[in-house]
Parts: sequence; C-alpha cells; structure tokens
Amino acid sequence: MKQDVLKHFDIQWLPLTGLIIFVACFSAYIYWTFKKSNKKMYDQASHIPLEEAHRASSLQKGHNV
Amino acid sequence: MSSPNANVPSANRRLETFTYDDQIVKWFVIATVIWGAIALLLGVTVAFQLADWRLNLGLPWTTFGRLRPLHTNAAIFAFCGNAIFAGIYYSHQRLLKARLFNDILSKVHFWGWQLVIVLAAITLPLGLSTGKEYAELEWPIDILITLIWVVFAVNFFGTIIRRRERHIYVAIWFYIATIITVAVLHIVNSMELPVTLTKSYSLYSGVQDALVQWWYGHNAVAFFLTTPFLGLMYYFVPKAANRPVYSYRLSIIHFWSLVFIYIWAGPHHLLYTTLPEWSQTLGMVFSVALWMPSWGGMINGLMTLRGVWNKVRTEPGLRFMATSLTFYGMSTFEGPLLSIKSVNSIAHFTDWIPGHVHAGTIGWNYMLIAGILFYLVPKLWNAELYSKRLANIQFWFATIGLVFYIVSMWIAGITQSLMWRAMDDAGRLLYPNFIETVIKIVPMYWVRAIGGTLVLTSFILMIINLYRTAKRGKPSEEAVFEAYALDDSSLEADSSTHRKLEGWPMIFSVLSLIAILVGSAIEIVPSLMSDKYITKVSAIKPYSPLELYGRDIYVREGCYLCHSQTVRPIPHEVLRYGKPSDASEFVYDHPFQWGSKRTGPDLARVGKKYPHMWHYKHFYDPREVTAGSIMPTYKWLFNQKIDYSTLPAKIAVMQKLGVPYSAEEIQTSVEKAKAQATEIAAELVQSGVPEKIVEMEVVALIAYMQRLGVDYTSMPAEEVASEE
Repeated sequence: MKQDVLKHFDIQWLPLTGLIIFVACFSAYIYWTFKKSNKKMYDQASHIPLEEAHRASSLQKGHNV
Repeated sequence: MSSPNANVPSANRRLETFTYDDQIVKWFVIATVIWGAIALLLGVTVAFQLADWRLNLGLPWTTFGRLRPLHTNAAIFAFCGNAIFAGIYYSHQRLLKARLFNDILSKVHFWGWQLVIVLAAITLPLGLSTGKEYAELEWPIDILITLIWVVFAVNFFGTIIRRRERHIYVAIWFYIATIITVAVLHIVNSMELPVTLTKSYSLYSGVQDALVQWWYGHNAVAFFLTTPFLGLMYYFVPKAANRPVYSYRLSIIHFWSLVFIYIWAGPHHLLYTTLPEWSQTLGMVFSVALWMPSWGGMINGLMTLRGVWNKVRTEPGLRFMATSLTFYGMSTFEGPLLSIKSVNSIAHFTDWIPGHVHAGTIGWNYMLIAGILFYLVPKLWNAELYSKRLANIQFWFATIGLVFYIVSMWIAGITQSLMWRAMDDAGRLLYPNFIETVIKIVPMYWVRAIGGTLVLTSFILMIINLYRTAKRGKPSEEAVFEAYALDDSSLEADSSTHRKLEGWPMIFSVLSLIAILVGSAIEIVPSLMSDKYITKVSAIKPYSPLELYGRDIYVREGCYLCHSQTVRPIPHEVLRYGKPSDASEFVYDHPFQWGSKRTGPDLARVGKKYPHMWHYKHFYDPREVTAGSIMPTYKWLFNQKIDYSTLPAKIAVMQKLGVPYSAEEIQTSVEKAKAQATEIAAELVQSGVPEKIVEMEVVALIAYMQRLGVDYTSMPAEEVASEE
C-alpha cells in the first residue's frame, strides 16, 4: 500500500517530458554559452558591475529622470 | 563616460541623467542589522534551552516550541530577507543604470516587510502557527506577504523596464528566479482554509501536505537563502575585488542548472517515509546532481579573487566574502551527501541536520551579508570603515563559533544515531530508552550554545563597527549620474538567440518560471493526485472533536519541532516504535505533523502506550516520568480552559477539506468533546487529580496523544492484506 502512488500513477509521460525538457534546455544553454562567437559578448558582460554610470556634469542635472 | 552597451556605437545616442535611491538601501541595511541581532539572540536562547530545560522559564511564550519558529523566521525572512532587499536594491540600480521604479513602492515594500516581521514576532510566541516548518505564519500574514512580494516584484521589474543597460547581468537573473520562485512556493504551500482570523487548516493532508511542505521548505533554502545570495555574490565579489567575475559563461551554466535541478530535490527531506519510492529516489539523484552547479558557483566566486588574495588578508569585506564562498562549498557538498539514502538514514532526525543548516545560514549567509555590509556601509554613509581590527576580531569570533556549532552537532547527531540503531547479538536494542541517547549528547548542546554565543558576539561587534562607521560619515549631495538611453539605437546587430533572450527580461522570467514549474510538476502533480491513489482504509477514522482540539494544541506548542510522527521502515525504528508508517494513516491530517527532528522520541505509535496519568505527569513535569528529560514543562495546559465554542467551526472546515464528518457530527461536536473529556478526567480523578481538570486543555492534548497510531496498529491483519 505504501507504494500506491507509484504503482497507480499512470501519467508516465509527465516525468519523461520533464526529463526531455531539462536535457534539451540544458544542452541548448551549453551550446549557446560556449559558442565561440559569443566569447567577446560575455567578456564584455562580465565587466558590467565594474562599469558604473559616470557622474553627470552640473549642466546636465536639469534632465534628471 | 558611461559604458556603452556591447557592440553598440555611442554616436547619436541620447544621454540621460538620473539618481539612485540609496535611502531605501540604507533603511534595509539598518533593518538587517537590527533583525540579525534579534534572530541570533533567539537562536542562542533556544540553544541554551535545549542544554538546560529550565531556561524555558515555564511560560508559554518563552518555551522552545514557540521561540524556535520565531528564530527560524527571524533568521530567514527578517535578517536574510532585509539583507537581500538591501543588496538587490543597491546592485539592481547600478547594474541597470536606473533609479528604482517607484519611491513609494520602495517605501511600501520596506514598511510592509517590517510589518510582516513584527506580526510574526507577536503571533508566533502566542502560539498562532500553521504547524508547517518555515511557513508557520497564519493566513492573514500569508496574504500580506504575498502583497508585499508583489510590490517588490513590480518595483523590481519596473526598474528593468526603465533600464539603460541592454544586457541583464547574471546577478539579476538570480534575482528574477528568486522573485518568481518564492512567489510560487509561498502561494502553493500557504493554501489553507481559515477557521478564524488566527486559525486555519492546510488545504493538503498527510503525504500530500508533506510533499508540498518540503518542496517549499527545500526551495525556501534554495530560492531565499541561495539564489538571491548568489546574485549578490556575482555583483559584490567583483565590485569588492575590482575584478570581473572569473567566468561569465560558467555563471550562466551555474544559473540554469541550479534553477532546473534545485527544484527537483525537495523529497530528499522525506527519505524512508511513506512518500513514494520513485519520488524519494528522484529527490536523491537531483540532490547529488546539485554538487555540480553549486561547486561551479563556488569556484567561479573564489576564482574571481585570483590576483587579489593579498586583499583578502587585509580587507574585511573580501575576507568575509571568501569565507562565505568556502562555507557555501562545504554546505553544498554536505547537503547532497546527506540526501544519499544510506547517509540520510543515519543523519535524518538528528542534530547533524541543524549543524548542516547552520553551516549554510551562518557560514554562507551571515558571512556574505557581513562582507556586503562592509562594502555598503562605508559607501552609503560616505565614510571609511571604523576599524579593520574590530572586523578581524568579529571574523574570528564568527568562524570559531561556527566551527563549535558544526562540530558539536556532527558529534551529537552521529552519536545519537548510532545509539538509536545499536543492537545486541539477539537483535535487541542496546539503548531501548530514548532518554539514554539524549543524556549522552546534552554536553554537545552546551558546546553548540557557546558556539552560538560567539557568533552572536561577532554580530554585536559588527554592529558597533558599522554604527561607528556611519556616525563618522560626511554628508554629501545626492549624486547625479548619466548614461545613454536604451532605445532602438542601442539594439545589437548579429546577436545570438541566448544573447537576445538576456535582453528580454519578461520572456526570460517566463522561461525561468517554466524551468521551476517543470521540476515542480514532476514532484507535485503525482502528490496532488495522491488522494486518488491512496486507498482510504476503513479502520482509519477522523479525529474525534476533542482529539482535533488536542491536535491544535500540539501544533500551537510546536511539538512537531522535537517529535516526529512517522516510523521509517528501518529495523531499529520498527523495534523501538512499532509498525512502519503508512500513507493511509495520514489522510485526515491537516496539516501533517511528521516533523524533521527527534529531540524527543517519535510519537506515531504512542497512542494507548501509557495510561492517561503518565501523560498528565509528563506534561506537568516530564522529569516525573522520564528522569533526565530535557522537555519543557507545560503547566499552563493545566490552567487554560478548553474553548469548546470553536469546535463546530473547526470540524466544518475539516469537512470542507474532505474529512468525512457528517452534519450531525458538527452539530454534536461540543457534547461529544465534553463526554470524552469527562471520560479521560474520570480516570485522572481516580488517581487523585482535582475534578476541575475536565475543563483544562491538557485533557484535550491527552486525548490526541492517546489516538496516535491506534487505528492503524489495531487494524486486523486481513484488512491490511485486503487493502494491499
């Protein structure tokens, strides 16, 4: 009786679909991420925290948004 | 000049000026240190209470069962929550080169969150609890949390829409995953039906409730204590080290694999329970798989410090960050290890688990928060750090305190587990009295409490340091910044699909949602359908009105924090407690009360094991019947009267939840409860107890205790066979 849920659970496609989605997405991420042509972009992206916006000159303060 | 977006020429682009809302960050920083000190003080209090029961003070609102949920909620949602918001609001604005979407929303977010914390601080000591770990707050507060979270989400995503940086940096991905997943977790796990303003019952029961709860519990750790902190790590470690993250590509893989895998791993909290075997195995496999992304993140963080290790020695902020990453690596190694079934059979229900949890919350969360605060406070208050020396003393207090904590809990957990399972050659338990295994590890509870005190001391030192730093700050004008507007001219040519995806935050959010829902669906759909498959055994009856009332007292006093109610199919547990638990036993349990720790013995088979008088004495003073017990006294149960007037409403709600109470049972619930109370009291009075006991809460609790496991264990063998 303890294994009732497992024994009677008849939606076998659910875990299978989950696994396929997981493997497919993960493979796609690996491919996109390690694609040679993307290296430069990701290198630039890694610098975003270090490239803060610069302080504005006093003349531009009126355009604050 | 502001950084141009990747691959986009800056010519002909519109330059805009803007300011950052750092006031809200300051507020969240202040809230972080205040609530952090309170959370740690509560932690130290409950640690000492476990070492010496007298420190429970004999008062309802100072007893372990009520203070422990307050400690966990304060540590997770008040301390870590405020730190997350401070860090996110600071980094989000800078990573997007935009002021927060709406100042009023920011203020509503801040004060709303503090209101949630204050309400928790009031209701939990009063015993107003749902009885689900880390989700104890009652339904009106749950609704308030949802509203405040929506305010946070609107403010967060609104800022993304107004951004001036095309690329959504990886830290923000982690924030997005946090916001979406926490919302899903909170809403699904908090589904409950109210009885009154301060009482509700979980929509789920038994196995179903356990699965949903630990899907929530596990992922509350993942998406409240891990993903937002990883996002903060990906911003603040590069900033403090003044170096870009070691591998941005690794951070992307880290993100997607963590989001996909973490959500699948919840069932490892319920190994050897009545949870379906396949679900337990799934949880175990994915927990082990978590090693990879977790260590990927740790390596990425630590390698970001390459070339600046000398600064780790001299800069307190970096030192705390490096240490937090090391503890992150350690606890994410230990977590999967504990999810392996054979290891879990040793560690589960023991002190090894709180040891593991605190390696994460103190080693990873507190240390990273300290690192972030040492970075933020000097910047926000425009001052030099008051004392590096004080920060170093704080570091050693925290580290040594944590080592005391972890090592003592390893020793206590493994010792007790080995004692539980020790058998002689004839197959009899060597330590049949549970209390023998408790007395043995009490010295380790003292070591843990001392370790906690050191951590608390370190935190106080940090508060002094940060306060002095802020006090010496020089007032400065609000800075105005400039950056290019994000319009069509900033679009990148020749960008890859994933690159484009990274610039579409809403689609990205939907994909993150799908990622977590895929994992959740595999776990939760079978569980939500489980009532269809779990046969309702005719011998298992709903609780009587008085037993139900007693069960509510059990939940109110937080008994589930020290006692489990599930016997695992492991030889020594069957020898000690009796028949292994079965899914059908719990179909009427809203909420389930399996627990996660055995500071005291399992209670699944305690019904009819002892006479009423034994329980009476036990609740009055546990040492009267169990010498050496560390359980608090519950003397107020002997003075507080049963409020029978609430019973019809409670049973009517249970009926709505599917428990087969008839209309007649609802109508007669008060008379039936009084009749059962009279029956129990009569036996007690015969032993010399005053007659007025019939009106008191202890009688209801005894009624509940005497019912536990009785239906299932007394079921005729032929009925068991036919059901199977």
